[in-house]
Amino acid sequence: MYGRRGFLAICVIIAAVGLFAGRPAVAAGPDEFIRGIGTTAMNSLTEKGISDGERQRRFRDIFNKNFDVPGIARFTLGVYWRSATEQQRAEFLKLFEDFVVKSYAYRFKDYDGEQFRVTQVIDVSATDKIVQSEIARPSAPPIRMNWRVRSNDPYKIVDVVLEGVSMLTTQRDEFTAVIRNNGGKVEGLLSALRDRIGQESQAQHQ
Amino acid sequence: MSALVSFPAKVSRTVFGAAIGATLLTAACATRPTDPAEAEAYDEANDPLEPMNRGILEFNLFLDRIFLKPVAYVYKETLPTEAQNSVTHFLDNMHAPVTVANDLLQGEASRAGTIVARFAINTLIGFGGLFDVAQELGLEDHDEDFGQTLAVWGAEEGPYLMLPLFGPSNPRDGIGMAVDIFLDPFTYIFKYEHIQWAGYARLGLRAVDARARHYDEFNELQRSSLDFYATLRSLYRQRRIDEINNGKPTGIEPAPYLSQPAVEPKTASVPSTH
Repeated sequence: MYGRRGFLAICVIIAAVGLFAGRPAVAAGPDEFIRGIGTTAMNSLTEKGISDGERQRRFRDIFNKNFDVPGIARFTLGVYWRSATEQQRAEFLKLFEDFVVKSYAYRFKDYDGEQFRVTQVIDVSATDKIVQSEIARPSAPPIRMNWRVRSNDPYKIVDVVLEGVSMLTTQRDEFTAVIRNNGGKVEGLLSALRDRIGQESQAQHQ
Repeated sequence: MSALVSFPAKVSRTVFGAAIGATLLTAACATRPTDPAEAEAYDEANDPLEPMNRGILEFNLFLDRIFLKPVAYVYKETLPTEAQNSVTHFLDNMHAPVTVANDLLQGEASRAGTIVARFAINTLIGFGGLFDVAQELGLEDHDEDFGQTLAVWGAEEGPYLMLPLFGPSNPRDGIGMAVDIFLDPFTYIFKYEHIQWAGYARLGLRAVDARARHYDEFNELQRSSLDFYATLRSLYRQRRIDEINNGKPTGIEPAPYLSQPAVEPKTASVPSTH
């Protein structure tokens, strides 16, 4: 019964299994995606002895490659995206990127030895998933860090939520407050951002 | 002195006080803008008392600068880390009865059980709560308060409020704070033992402990924010939602930005104007 044909069938099955198992990470899930970013960030951003400029350059790379930067920027302008002119939108996109790079990159400087671990993935919608992760700390409960990932091809991060605090929501609340306190003028935020980025650059050159 | 205050005088004083309060409130109120985009942003902020709240934050930050911050600095620089951790554990342990009461009021029996076990273990084996032995045994801590209980029961938070000394709050959490004092057995213990000062000492220690633990983060936030007041308001609300949901992600239900064109795929055209 299990003659040559049976043997052949088994060979085909083994080959097929081998093929699937050996497939490169093209079909990697969102958890793999986040794990990859976590590892890259830990390795390249926390390196000691590199200049602030170099750390920022690396952060900007990771940020632009893996985050939906234009989408995030647009969201953080809230209701004022509609009233902003084309020119203001374009300038805001640029300022937003600089602002994030300047205010977040240095945070990796004093980071060491913390363990990053992906815990689970939750489906939110047809396109969005929340990848839950933890950063272990010595003698304290781990920090909960959730990533909202949109499964476009390739995956893009649309939000990072730390202990329930969303980067997207926090930035939007702050930016819209600044505009509101400038009489609803988007220019008020743009000039505040320009000032802040200028200050940060100056501080780094000292 | 109080004997000298006759009843009508007391009443008129109260009325007078209320009148002044009302005038201040009205003066402090921001008016809702007429422009639709402005009005939407105004509603989203849910902070009609913003001018007054900003003033109170200035006051709180002034107190922080001249008192709390320097004390917290000396505290964290001179006290050994182990001692600081013990203070944190001790204060957390004292909060356990309030957490248990609120867990039960929220119908969370098993979470209440965890805290009862933690309280027993840490009080008896952890030298009155100085050491978190229960954590080592895998019993994780959590905090509950009556503000969270009210939220679980369906109460709205109401407009944002900046309280003098106590910081960010809202009517729901303010009421919660008052109720927690009544739920706390230590309130009665201190009272009947005639050691009310212990209550104030505990409050002060909590402030120093919290400020010292978040020393750098708080300073950094203050430095890097474009609008510290607005950032604080946003952080407070988000943290409260997280605490009310016991840390479960809330993005499961359609988040606001799902329906907005803001983060739609890039193929989407410029958001239409309403």
